[in-house]
Parts: sequence; C-alpha cells; structure tokens
Amino acid sequence: MSAPAPGIARASPLLTFRELTVTFGHGERSVRPVDGVSFELEPGDRLAVVGESGCGKSTLAAAILDVIPSPGRVTGGEVSIDGQPVSTLDRDELEHVRAATVAMVFQSAMNAFNPVLTIGTQVEHILRAHPGVFASQAEGRKHFEYLLELVRLDPARVVRSYESELSGGMKQRVAIAVAVLLSPKLVVLDEPTTALDVWNQRVVISILHELHRTLGIAIMLVTHDLAVVAEVATKVAVMYAGRLVEYGGVDEIFHGQRRHPYVAALIGAIPSVLKGGLTVRPIPGQVPSLAELAPGCRFAPRCQRAVTICHQQEPALLADGGDHLVACHVVNAGELVTGV
Amino acid sequence: MTLLEVDNVSHWYGTKAQRPVLDHVNLSLGTGETVALVGESGCGKSTLGRLVAGLTTSTLGTIRHDGREVARLSRAEHKIWRRSVQLIHQDPFGALNPGVRIGSTLGTALRYHKLVDRAHLEQELLGLLGQVGLEATRDFLHRYPHELSGGQRQRVCIARAVSLRPKLVVADEVTSMLDVSMRVSVLDLLRSFQVQRSIAFLFISHDLGVVRYFAAGGRVVVMFYGVIVEEGPTEEVIFHPRHPYTALLLESIPIPDPTLARREHGSVDTVPDAGPSPQGCVFSNRCRFAVDRCRTTTPKLEDDGHGHRAACFFIERVVRETTTSAVTDRAPDLDSGATCDPSTAGTQA
Repeated sequence: MSAPAPGIARASPLLTFRELTVTFGHGERSVRPVDGVSFELEPGDRLAVVGESGCGKSTLAAAILDVIPSPGRVTGGEVSIDGQPVSTLDRDELEHVRAATVAMVFQSAMNAFNPVLTIGTQVEHILRAHPGVFASQAEGRKHFEYLLELVRLDPARVVRSYESELSGGMKQRVAIAVAVLLSPKLVVLDEPTTALDVWNQRVVISILHELHRTLGIAIMLVTHDLAVVAEVATKVAVMYAGRLVEYGGVDEIFHGQRRHPYVAALIGAIPSVLKGGLTVRPIPGQVPSLAELAPGCRFAPRCQRAVTICHQQEPALLADGGDHLVACHVVNAGELVTGV
Repeated sequence: MTLLEVDNVSHWYGTKAQRPVLDHVNLSLGTGETVALVGESGCGKSTLGRLVAGLTTSTLGTIRHDGREVARLSRAEHKIWRRSVQLIHQDPFGALNPGVRIGSTLGTALRYHKLVDRAHLEQELLGLLGQVGLEATRDFLHRYPHELSGGQRQRVCIARAVSLRPKLVVADEVTSMLDVSMRVSVLDLLRSFQVQRSIAFLFISHDLGVVRYFAAGGRVVVMFYGVIVEEGPTEEVIFHPRHPYTALLLESIPIPDPTLARREHGSVDTVPDAGPSPQGCVFSNRCRFAVDRCRTTTPKLEDDGHGHRAACFFIERVVRETTTSAVTDRAPDLDSGATCDPSTAGTQA
C-alpha cells in the first residue's frame, strides 16, 4: 500500500480519533460503547465505519461534533478536526466547525425536517444563521437549488414542498443536500441507505459519488451494510462491541489475505445474487452485551478460529507493515483467514 | 390445490388518489409454495400482504382461500381462516406489546383458538421457544420485549405466527431490520417451517439477494406501482429477467464486492428517477427501451410457455441487451468454477 505506516506524520488529517473512549453510566454499571478507538481520515477520503447494532459506530460519529446523547460522555482520548481537539473548542468555535467543516446526516434524517415549514423556508433559516458563507441570500438559495439538482431532485418542486409531501428516498436526498449546503470539508452520514429500497439505495450511492467527485467532499459513512461499503468507500474501519477490530483499504477488507475472522464471517453472511450468494452462513451467537464482556477478544465467543489465548487476552491492533490493521491473535500469528 | 387466489384485485387509499395502490393484481399460491413479492417502497407489496392477511379489504376484486371467498365466510369459518393465515411484520420492535411478557404474547392466541388447554400451555410455549431457537426456559417466558435483542424479538414473532399452525404466512420484510449476522439464521428458521409443515409463504422483500436465498425453487413476483410487471420461477427471474424493471432492480443492488462494484458503477446512474406513468406501460417513464407505443398502450403479461411472464413489448430486446450487463457481470460464471466472489470462496471449498 502506498500510505505510510501509522505513526509517521502524513499530510494533515482532517479528522483524527486518538484512543477515543465514550462511557455511558457510572462506576460498576458503566459501559463503553466506544473503547480506545484510533484512526484518521484525510481530506477527500471516503471512509466507512462498519459494524452491527450496538458496536458503537453511531456513538463514534456523534463524538465528532460533540453531540453524544446524555448520559454518554468522552472519558478518554480525543477527536480532532483539522488538528484541533474538539474538547478544546468553545461554543462559537464548535458552531463554526459544525457549519463549515463537518456536516452530519443523522440516522433519523428522514424525520429531521420541521413538518410545518416548507423545505425552502428551512433552508432560508440555515442561510440566515450563517451569513458569512454566501455573498447574499439569493446566492445561497441558488447554490441549494444546484445541490438539489445534484441529488437528482426537481428544485422548483422541493423548495415549495413540506416534508410530508416527499417520499423517504427524497427526504434522505434533501437531507444530504442540506448537509453540504455550507460546503463542509467532511460529511458524516449515519446509515443513509438503511431504510431505503434497492432503487433508492442505488440513487443515494451514486449521489455520494457525485458529491465526492464534483465538490471534493470527504465522506464518512456509518453503516452495517457491507454492500454499500463496497460501493462507496475506499477505506474501512470495522467495529465490534466498542472496539476497532480492523482498518484498511476496501480491497484489503474484502479480498485481502489477512482479514479479521469477524469481517470474513460478516461478508460470508450476506445472501446475494452473485455467484456463491447462496452459500451463506450466519454467525453463531450474538453481539455481546457491553455490560457483560468476557476477558479476551470480544469476538472470541462467536469465532470459529478462536484458540486459548483469544479467551484470555485482548488482541492488539497490528499492522502488516502497511496501513492495514487487524486485531486478532490468530491472524497476527501468521495464519491466514480467507473465509470463515 | 390452490391455497390462495388473488383475483383481479385493485385497491385505492382514500378517494382523491387517481392511481390505485394495486391495479388488477392476480396471484395464486399453492400449499407449501413460496412466492416472493419484490418492488420498491410504495409499489403496493405491503398493501397486498395486508389484503391477503385480512387486515384490509380490497376495493375491487376477490381474494379466495382454499377456494372460498374470504369476504363471504361465516363467522365461524372466518375464525378458522383467521388462524390459518398469519403475518410477520417488518419491525420486531413495534410488533410486540412492550407491556406484555413473552409468555402472554405467545399464549393468548393459542388459548383463544383453543389449541392447547391451560394445563399444557407452559409446556407448549417452552416447546415453541425451542423450535425457534430461543432459550426454552420459564425465565424467558417472563421477560418483556425490551429485554430481548432484535433477532430474539423477530424469533418471538415467528413463534407467535407458527404456533397457530397456519397454512399461509405473510412475511413482510422480516429481515430488513435485523443485523447482517442474524439474517440468514432467521431465513433458515422460516425455511425449516416451510419444509417441515408445508407452510406457504408470501415473502415480501426489496432485497433480491435475500429473495434468491429464501425463495429458491419458488416464484418471484415483481411489482411496480401497483402493477405486476414480471413473475416466474425465482432463478429464471433473477438470472434471466424479461422486464426492464427487473433488470434495473438487479443492476441497482449494491454488491458486497468492491472490484465488481467499481466495474458496475454508472450503468444505472443515467436512468431517471421517475415515478409511474399515468398512461400506457406503468414503467415507461423510467424505461430505457420505451417508445411512443409504450406511453399509450399497456402491455399485458405474456407467458414464455414455462410460467415466466412479463408485461413488456420488448421482452426480446430486454433479454438480449441486459443479459450482458445485469446478469453475466453480476453472476459471473454461474455454472463454472471460476472464483469471482472471494467473499464466499472460502465457504464454497
């Protein structure tokens, strides 16, 4: 891989997670949905954070803009945007970051609109709240109409519409257009395709490519859908029960020789119309409760390759000399995991 | 013997809507047969499921069960019919009453239909939990839905549906809200009931990968805005689509393989995101083959002689021109041993 090894300074990352830990609750009853996660995202990257429900991926995304739902809080490590730790920003600076640097499309984006105002009016409000971005209101409106065309909607119709007049797929696309309105450097999308049908998924995927191509925006996609990851991302971070278990280029994640057994099993569990799409295998057991974690690797109880040490000691996230990190005793001991 | 017959059913929601949600739909299902209903949101597939399950009555047309018209059943017959058709919902979080313990949720219907007497109820419920792969303990029966994971809840919903020994189960997007690692096991569970008890399934989904897995050997019905545009044996429809909409859906599926995904990109990006056409072929607004005739005349479903039917004037062209883009690339070397999908290469060996 062309990317330098971790630890070597590179062209300033746009977003850095450094040993980030988020805790919910106190004392004995506390759980850590994000537990010591580190990785970086560079300008223009298309990165996907993948995992099943409860793996901490949405909490990780919320930490970027300091919007972790209460009673969650960052208890270790930090998130930095453009080299600036989010925790050191004051309110105004945070507002500025949220407007100009990082935009977020939440999982419930379809319910993100005010039902009694037209889309156009809501966009006016955004433009008024951030007066410095465009030369005039009219210019901002024009830019929004351009973005609506980019997400393949009819601007004249959408700006006059109320949320209830748009379908789920259309609302998701309007939410994306609103997110990139102020030209952020990064847009974070939490499960943007999950509630959509195949056709609307395809439209959203091609829109994300279009946004990346024409506006040069970096994309961080949070999803459980590996097919969408394969379609959109160039880099992938895989989380399991709060831990980063694998990080690497999309080709290494899907085709590499050195793969985390969880990732291999997850890919092998998707029924598809491709060849071999019927020889799928579910992963036995279920994601552990964060409150009752056994010692050792968190995937070990479900892992078909687990050996004694996996149940005793948590594996470290190790590179193979390149940029591909895997947290697995078996893989890092030199054994290959091609399909589990 | 035909278990379910949907005969020329049309349905409208409200009175102002010009377009029916279902437009002259015909469908039949034999005992133990699996039919998958495929289409995008708003195409009417859930409405059809609700009509079949008796939650709504169709505006026009008739639905027959075991040869008898459902709308004309007597009260006693209706109760028996009610038991023999069960529905499993998409959202296992919304389908269980949060204030009712699992034991009561499962037991109420059994008692109502007098399938088990009180003395044997618990034993029956424990057996049921075991059959759906849940922990068969008293403690589990005393739990509330919020104490269960999504996969466990969906298994409870499945247990509730099959406990009444139905002949037909309408499964509406049952795996779409489950984690990827859970999906296959839930599908396998449903399949085991289909095989062991010859339960017929109306399986509603927009995910053709899941449909191919669950309805293998069965049939697929493809709907576009209330109109059936194609139907046929599952493998035929997925690997040799005859309607441009089916071909488009197949091309649209996100593929869990970055190499193939890159190669495929752009093939459907030029297709307009258009709704139904008010006149002529319902799909003509989005169709790359459409000509003037398609916008004035409605094509009828035509059979190829082997039960594979499509409603299109250009079936030949669709078959010729999409086989390469939609099928060959998508399902590379279906019969040969070449490895194109490394994600499953290991499991195939």
